[in-house]
Amino acid sequence: MKNIQLNTALLAMMLSLGACKKDFITIQPRGQFLSENYYANRGEAYSALVAVYDVLRKNAGGFDNMVTFFNAGSDDNFAGGGGPSDGAGIQGISNYTLNPNIVPGSFWNDHYQGIFRANTLLAKLPGIDMDAAEKSRFTAETKALRAIYYFNLVKMFKNIPLLLAPLTTAGIYDVTQAPPAEVYAQIEKDLSEAIPSLPTTLTLSKEAGRLTKAAGQAMLGKVYLYENKGALAATQLAQVNGTPGQANQYGNKLLSNFSDLWMFTNKFNTESILECYHTNQSNADWGFWGSAADEGNTVNQMVGPRSYSKTAGSPAPDIPSGWSFNVFTQEFYDIIKTDPRFGATVLDVKAYASAGQAIYIEGYQNTGYFINKFIPRRADVRTGGGALELNFQQDDYIIRLADTYLMEAEALGATGTRAQALLDAVRARVGLPSVPVTLAAIKAERRLELAGEGHRFFDLVRWGDAPAKLGSRGFVTGKNEILPIPARELTATKLVQNPNYN
Amino acid sequence: MKKILLLCLAIFTTASIMAQNQAVTGKVTDEKGVGIAKASVIVKGGKTGTSTDENGVFDLSVPSATKAVVISSQGYNVNEVTLTGAPLHITLLRAVANLDEVVVVGYGTQKKSVVTGAISSVKARDLENVPNGRIEQALQGRVAGVTILQNSGQPGSGSTIRVRGITTFNNNNPLWVVDGVVVDAGGIGYLNQSDIESIEVLKDAASAAIYGTRAATGVILVTTKKGKAGKFSVNYNGFYGVSQPAKVLDLVNATQYATLINERSVAGGGSVIYNDLSSLGKGTDWQKAIFNNSAKRYLHEVSMSGGSERSTFYLSVGIQDQQGIVATDISNYNKKNIRLNSTHKISNIFTFGQTLGYTHQESIGLGNTNSEFGGPLSSAINLDPTTPLVVTDPLVANAPPYVSNPVLRDIAGNPYGISSVVGQEMTNPLAYMKTRLGGNNWSDDIVGNAYLEAAPVRGLKIRTTVGAKKAFWGSKGFTPVFYLNPTNSVLRNNYRKEENKGFNWNVENTITYNKKLRDHDITLLIGQGTYVENIGGNVGLTIYDLPISSYKDASFRFDIPVTNRETYGTDFIEHRVTSLFSRLNYSYQDKYLFTGIVRRDGSTRFGSNNKYGVFPSFSGGWNVNKEKFWTSNKVINSLKIRGGYGVTGNDALDDFRYLATVVGGYNYPIGNSGAVTTGYSPLTLDNPDLHWEETSSADVGFDAQLFNAFNLTVNLYNKKTTGILRQVVIPGYVGVSDNPWDNVADMKNTGIEVELGYRKQLGDLNLSVNGNVSYLKNTVTYVAADTNFLTGGASFQSMGAITRIKVGNSYNGFWGYNRLGVFQNEAEIANYKNKNGTLIQPNARPGDFQWEDINGDGVISQGDQDKTFLGSNIPKYTFGLTLNMEYKGLDLTIFAQGAAGNKIFQGLRRLDVLAANFPAKALGRWTGEGSSNDYPRLTSTDPNNNFNWMSDFYLEKGDYVRLKVLQLGYTLPNQWLTKYGVSRLRFYVTGENLLTLTNYTGYDPEVGGGVFGVDKGQYPQARTIFGGLQLQF
Repeated sequence: MKNIQLNTALLAMMLSLGACKKDFITIQPRGQFLSENYYANRGEAYSALVAVYDVLRKNAGGFDNMVTFFNAGSDDNFAGGGGPSDGAGIQGISNYTLNPNIVPGSFWNDHYQGIFRANTLLAKLPGIDMDAAEKSRFTAETKALRAIYYFNLVKMFKNIPLLLAPLTTAGIYDVTQAPPAEVYAQIEKDLSEAIPSLPTTLTLSKEAGRLTKAAGQAMLGKVYLYENKGALAATQLAQVNGTPGQANQYGNKLLSNFSDLWMFTNKFNTESILECYHTNQSNADWGFWGSAADEGNTVNQMVGPRSYSKTAGSPAPDIPSGWSFNVFTQEFYDIIKTDPRFGATVLDVKAYASAGQAIYIEGYQNTGYFINKFIPRRADVRTGGGALELNFQQDDYIIRLADTYLMEAEALGATGTRAQALLDAVRARVGLPSVPVTLAAIKAERRLELAGEGHRFFDLVRWGDAPAKLGSRGFVTGKNEILPIPARELTATKLVQNPNYN
Repeated sequence: MKKILLLCLAIFTTASIMAQNQAVTGKVTDEKGVGIAKASVIVKGGKTGTSTDENGVFDLSVPSATKAVVISSQGYNVNEVTLTGAPLHITLLRAVANLDEVVVVGYGTQKKSVVTGAISSVKARDLENVPNGRIEQALQGRVAGVTILQNSGQPGSGSTIRVRGITTFNNNNPLWVVDGVVVDAGGIGYLNQSDIESIEVLKDAASAAIYGTRAATGVILVTTKKGKAGKFSVNYNGFYGVSQPAKVLDLVNATQYATLINERSVAGGGSVIYNDLSSLGKGTDWQKAIFNNSAKRYLHEVSMSGGSERSTFYLSVGIQDQQGIVATDISNYNKKNIRLNSTHKISNIFTFGQTLGYTHQESIGLGNTNSEFGGPLSSAINLDPTTPLVVTDPLVANAPPYVSNPVLRDIAGNPYGISSVVGQEMTNPLAYMKTRLGGNNWSDDIVGNAYLEAAPVRGLKIRTTVGAKKAFWGSKGFTPVFYLNPTNSVLRNNYRKEENKGFNWNVENTITYNKKLRDHDITLLIGQGTYVENIGGNVGLTIYDLPISSYKDASFRFDIPVTNRETYGTDFIEHRVTSLFSRLNYSYQDKYLFTGIVRRDGSTRFGSNNKYGVFPSFSGGWNVNKEKFWTSNKVINSLKIRGGYGVTGNDALDDFRYLATVVGGYNYPIGNSGAVTTGYSPLTLDNPDLHWEETSSADVGFDAQLFNAFNLTVNLYNKKTTGILRQVVIPGYVGVSDNPWDNVADMKNTGIEVELGYRKQLGDLNLSVNGNVSYLKNTVTYVAADTNFLTGGASFQSMGAITRIKVGNSYNGFWGYNRLGVFQNEAEIANYKNKNGTLIQPNARPGDFQWEDINGDGVISQGDQDKTFLGSNIPKYTFGLTLNMEYKGLDLTIFAQGAAGNKIFQGLRRLDVLAANFPAKALGRWTGEGSSNDYPRLTSTDPNNNFNWMSDFYLEKGDYVRLKVLQLGYTLPNQWLTKYGVSRLRFYVTGENLLTLTNYTGYDPEVGGGVFGVDKGQYPQARTIFGGLQLQF
């Protein structure tokens, strides 16, 4: 008996003494990988590529997304929301009180995260053992995505660091801002290098969402246009546009019915050139809303009327409620009221409410005019896991064909038969007659065609029209063309704040 | 010479006893009438004596000349009784300061008189008269230097404990060690209060260093009860009580509400919204709908203990149930527990012992107990009083939104009212409750240890202990199809469950050797330990579209197609620690005391460059009253001066922070099925140099006994944590999605602790008073080279962060704008100018707040420049007072505790829900010159950000004193009971939280949680009246 007890005691002692070794307190992570071992094969390279694509969601994913934020900064929409403090950032751009402390840092950070992942993958790809053709496609996609992210950064912040390789811990604080021209040159270079290796078409079942040659060319054309390189822009955009009104070389064509563009099921249609893909299958929940694992479309939720319900038997649409952001201004409403695109663009809840056909809670800056392009549909309401507010699956167009038509027409100097044909094609699609092509006509057309899609603010700045159109909101020339650099980026770094934001 | 004389005297007395004797019988009991075993009964002035039996009874033959006997027992005051010839009934009073009392110090015990560290003890007898609740509550107000705030009044919910202030930016929970088993702070609720023999709090590094890398936030040692040899007893305790809210908020009624909404709308440029005020009346009192004035609570527990010289045991079973005072249908707690502890002397050398406790807990909760985002409390506060609780008007009930939506209805079939003006997460609480019925959270905890101890030679003990905790916990719930309002609606029902299991084990081997060499007393402990925690994982399952409508019918047995099932699961990451430790206690004549401790720990949580940390401490003590120069006096009976210094660590942070890992979750949908493709990317930059946070603390103090009635302990400490682990904010352009961790920040806590006890017998009245007061000052001393603050901590809705970690201020201090008052007229706005003569608030209107221009630049900016420290949420003072009185069979206990010197953020009203209801103080808003200098004008646009900005407008003083327990008991006289075999029967009535003195206007000034003092409509603590009885055989 005594021996058994003694042995047990000794056993326990040995057991735990053996556990004293350093190995015992070193455990290998499972369910994740060590950086030094990763990027070893095609599968891992593909996963790393997906992580670069991830940042495209920024266009319409999360509370701070490009579409609603820059809509709020335009003359077409207000910030809206529940109250004057509902989203300091979006309210700040809407009334031009943004400062380095309230500008949403994610517009800066998320794009740099995409760039970091692209830089990491570009550094690793040459050493990965995989099919050469696929490797060159991966390389092209990564460079094109890096260019897209840099383009977003440079048009938002203008003065940004240009990083083409991952930083080391030691080098973090030595970074300086690059001249914008240098950034643009790199964007042109990346896209130009990418275009030859991007596929002309995709096998949608397996590849939907990835970049095509058309996307690369459209992006490069847009970049040239922003640099006022009209001829270069027109050349690239002509590749995408082909014969106005006809299918292009890749099969892209304007949809015949404008409102079909906004059906959430109508993904990757022929008019789509570069599309931000959303799904309800990430089961997005509040805990990771807007983060890398959230694939829902937040614009849908944000722009809907608050606490909306239609009355029994009324003709008002049965739609889920939202948070009443980005209501259209009365001025815009008056302009689009008679346009054939009105119904697809604006949901006139004000009219339904005054006719007793719907009830809703009026949000901040309410006009009663909501962005119908993104109003979620009842059929799109998530019934599975995750928060239903965060799992809308409508995709949003970063670039669509009507946009490239109008961009090429503009790049051509708003003159000539091709420019006229491009403008006419956009109008003809919605049943509008031809008007003589002029820059003013193109501007007017862009405003109506692309309303609520997040383009207007950048167009106004590009055209130099921002002070006139946005002055009443508080826009200050020489300051508000670009955003302030988030305060955190200036802490202990060599970065310099954008002019007039100090 | 003297010795010889004494000897002669002794022989003489013995001889005379032999000559002529008388019989003396009697019983020695404590104040409660319970017999004291092994008390010594000695003839006064003589040596003849005996000791009492297990029931306290003695029978002694004494010389006939004997006038009196002296009765003594360890831990009690000595009593002298004159012989009368009749049987004696002797009551011994517990000593005011029992210097021979044993204190648990970790891997051993020490006599209180030789302890050199700052250790506070709570014994079973201190908890006897406190209603059985969670252990944290049992400690609240009883231990100086420990701040305890309850997180919620939800039955069964925990409290936040901070030992000597805030130690780190990370996990501040103390280390709980129950009978040698480390138990995570979240799981400590399994302990049954009545099973606890003692709780020791190791407060300073000098005593806590024996727990090394996990001791920085303090160590709480819990020892459960053991049986006693030779004494068999059975105890029953039971009570039944009724709870109710102590306070409801003062909110405006429907007419007042409409008046305010109209005024606010017009001031913001809008129109009058409510035209007919007179028809509104008082409207709906939403609070009344959710509060329960007769929530029930009961407890039954039985324990048995006893043993022989060879084996002892303690066995207990208990059940308790507690209904919540808010939304009782979805607020309930139930606990069942059983415990067996035993020890066995196997031979003269070997002793075996074990403890084993099993607890099953089940609770249902509100969901949100302190949140601006919905739940019954937040809804009741924010919902407009113009919406009816239940819609009885058929015209309304047959119109949208009540038709064509799956709205919830009362028993009569009437729909619950849905507000048409207050939306978002604010929903009719009665309807909300119906959507959560049948859900629960549950846990099964099995915690135990077993040891084998060998004592082969005198003074030497070799001990091996194996401890383990196996826990299962999870939840289940049914969500029916419902429509609460346009933003809260579920169109497919679902039934879900989650199950977790976790396993911790540890092995500890110690050798203790004690040697006395004349005046020198040396005890040396060396030990080794291995700890493995967090073995386990979880799984969850949700099924949709069950062919049922009520939670009562929910089952996972339904045949649900795979497309309507969702599952998830994960593995936990193991945490391992290996340790070597040693302690040396040395005392010279019990006069000069020294303790030295060193512990070396290795942890899985640290990088290859810093796997091991070493934690030393030393402390000394001086029992001044044992010096020759000390003359016995009536003022100071004993005095011990103590001091110590030590270093402890903290490894409570996430795993693998030192590695550069590539993780998934950077996803994008690819392919037209909409399926998500997982993307992988480096998480952050690695830091192989990560090491422990180190907390060094210096402590001085003294223990004194005064006037034979007072027991005073005073401690002063200075505790400094360096290298606090935190995520270093690196520039966003680096492009990592998670910031790397580093040992960066420093923080300091200084404090004073005073514990004072008093005990006196005045005739038949026994009186004892115990009080304690602590003062604490917490200061952040360093956060980074490039900045003096970090944001984070608490936030409130669209306001964002309301606290800040800033050098020079207390941790997570409130941060925002400072008001100078309300502009009463245009002239005041025009006069508020900077030094250049320009207006500081040009856009303000009369009735707006005048903000302080903190940086003096002449503008009030929306950034950081004009925000300032507005107050600390950490109570500067905490205190407790216990008063016990006994008079014959009656006993009275009064226990009060409180805190002071802290601010509470009261954010009850949603900022983005413009039509939310108002607190009654809004009636005192600014309406014209001179009307208010505190509450601004109401306007829907709020251009001056009166409400939207964090400012001292939202802060109130958090001082309070609470009458926590008031208990009156009566113990029936012994002679009535003995013939039934009952040794004790006591009835009692208890009031819990009867009275709270505070100026705080919220539900409850005790607002715990990760960041103290943030009240968003916290579930208040209940006021309860119990009746109970205790029975002992």
